[in-house]
Amino acid sequence: MRLLTMLLIIVTSTMSHASVVTFQIAIVTSSQIEASNRGRSFAGIQTRVERPIRRAVELALFESKTSFEAFGIVPKLQVFDIDAEQPLNEQLRAIHSKALVILDLPKSEFIEAAKRLDEWGRTTVNVRHPDIDLRDTLCLPSLYHTIPSERMYFDALGQFLIYRGWRKVLIVHGPTEKDKVRTKILERSLKKFGADISDLREFTLSHHPDDRDQNRPEFLTGGASYDVVAVIDSARDFGRYIQYSTRRARPVVGDVGLIPVGWHRTLERYGAPQLNERYQLFDEVNPLPAGESMSEAEFAAWSAVKLVTNSLGTINQQEDTLDPKQILTHPDAQVDLYKGTRGSIRRWNNQLRQPILLATGDVVVAVAPMPKFLHPKHYVDTLGLDEPESPCNLK
Amino acid sequence: MNCNRRIIIYATIVLVSTVVWSRVLAFEAIITNERSGDVIHVDTDGSITHIVPICSRPRGMARGSAKTQVVIACSDDHKVIVYNRATRMIDLEIAPVQGAMNVAVHHASSRLFVTNEGAARASVFDLSSGQLIAELPTGLEPDGIAITDDGLHIFVASENAGLVHVFDGVTYRQDEVIRTNLRPRRIALFKNELWVSSEMGSRVEIFDIETRDKLDEVIFAPKGFRPEQMTPVDILFNEPANEVYIALGSANHVAVVDVATREITKYILVGRRAWGLGLSHDNQTLIVLNGLSDDFTLIDLKTKRPRLTKRAGLIPHSIEVFK
Repeated sequence: MRLLTMLLIIVTSTMSHASVVTFQIAIVTSSQIEASNRGRSFAGIQTRVERPIRRAVELALFESKTSFEAFGIVPKLQVFDIDAEQPLNEQLRAIHSKALVILDLPKSEFIEAAKRLDEWGRTTVNVRHPDIDLRDTLCLPSLYHTIPSERMYFDALGQFLIYRGWRKVLIVHGPTEKDKVRTKILERSLKKFGADISDLREFTLSHHPDDRDQNRPEFLTGGASYDVVAVIDSARDFGRYIQYSTRRARPVVGDVGLIPVGWHRTLERYGAPQLNERYQLFDEVNPLPAGESMSEAEFAAWSAVKLVTNSLGTINQQEDTLDPKQILTHPDAQVDLYKGTRGSIRRWNNQLRQPILLATGDVVVAVAPMPKFLHPKHYVDTLGLDEPESPCNLK
Repeated sequence: MNCNRRIIIYATIVLVSTVVWSRVLAFEAIITNERSGDVIHVDTDGSITHIVPICSRPRGMARGSAKTQVVIACSDDHKVIVYNRATRMIDLEIAPVQGAMNVAVHHASSRLFVTNEGAARASVFDLSSGQLIAELPTGLEPDGIAITDDGLHIFVASENAGLVHVFDGVTYRQDEVIRTNLRPRRIALFKNELWVSSEMGSRVEIFDIETRDKLDEVIFAPKGFRPEQMTPVDILFNEPANEVYIALGSANHVAVVDVATREITKYILVGRRAWGLGLSHDNQTLIVLNGLSDDFTLIDLKTKRPRLTKRAGLIPHSIEVFK
């Protein structure tokens, strides 16, 4: 049986520079564990597209070609497909010690890999999990989060609701543990910016008549006064039915309707249309149809690579292999995110600070931070956990 | 200070400013509007005298060979046109020019330089015949382009790459690349200095034209804004006044910078997303295009105060001001 499926792609092979520096990038994924249902709801209905993040990483490398030439750098991308039946340690050992390791694994495998790689002094990136425990309690000095945290998403939503004057919020959430944890984070964000929570209601997928108060949107959203309904539906399997079926004619936000996201296919400004078009067309062999854009994980993976390549000037490269840690820990490390405000790392928990888009399926309604939500130090730090509140302090 | 003295001072200011305004020489400004696909002619009072539908997404503009001509990049039509402001007709069309974004003209050699946004290159044309002379590979999303007066050096800023490519103006070979901060947008040449606005780096960097060494940078901080909210784009020199003006984009201000000391002497509040800048020939009026509020602001440079703001077309992009 194969110990490890390793795919080696040399992206660029221009060896024209006298002293060539290699930039190692490793994607760690597991097609075996992922076999079930990513992004799908009941009966195989696709509620969101989840592509492998590799395309986004390749796009970032493609975009960085002229920078690599200017700095005499050659990127090397390796994809490690983890075999769940083999010891993880051995498989992780094969990753280059100075690679920027992009972990695209389900949460439990992710935590195990991140811990192990931290012990070995590797540099890892979380591109997939907005979960706050990874920031607050796992809190690894070598682990960077380029996907926004749940707090950043919900803070953006909270600011938007206050900005619009929709202060009374009815929260409808799912029955899973994850839904409950995320509901708590949403509540905290709403209260932080001054919203009132009219009521908290839990939905059920059961169609049994006895459960109708919890399974019929009209009943679920009745008997309360609210400006807006916020839905927490992590599995994306009930929330869809709430829109246009609420007792009162009110907008729906959260996991359906108006959704806080890191990236969107219809962002019109900040050079975003060029980035979206490039994402579709840069791979001439496998172009994507117009309208496709990077998922949250893909955008986070693209951001991670661009954070390194946009910041190559911060370090004086002496070694044969670029050390991403030197760049990511540099105070001037920054990235052009095509969202109007540059991204940089929050030193206290290694989270990439960035604007959050509030979008429906076909429009970006607003870009948070919303006007008048001001932070004393950094424009986008009203989104997410600020330094004094963070249980994780890596500084 | 007593009340009477104040009144006298204010009255003097008002009187002096009135005299200054009345001495402003007549000008005609041409503005491209990228979303409404037209150019507008604007006079000294800020009134629109003509609206001329021109092409799809007119963006960058430069002065043409004749005094009545401007060269305009029509991005969505993939062409460059020479527009005659006297006849309000198109004198020449150069096509195809893939994703034409910004333009520069070297008058002595009658050459046109265009950045091709989606194609990661710049192209050089003979402006009188429209013949393609050369294509110069750049980084992704090239925007600002400039050529030295002697025609020997061409500079192209690539937004995505964070680089300014330098090409030989005779052989068109790439000489060098200058590393810039994030998202370099516009280039302005002044004596031996190359000024580059870094939109996402929130600064303007200054390089030596010959050695290409970085000399200095200007970082902006109007009151009530954080540094990362500064998104500078256009840079415009006013040599007699020893000043340079920088449009700060989403920060809705224009910065006035002393050319010699590189100190910021004033921030002037204008409309939303200030990008394009134009200067009247008497050096008394600065015109600022506000891309998100679809208007332009006339600033009296004596007092450094906005004189008036008027409606433009949709998404005003570039401006040239004539006698």
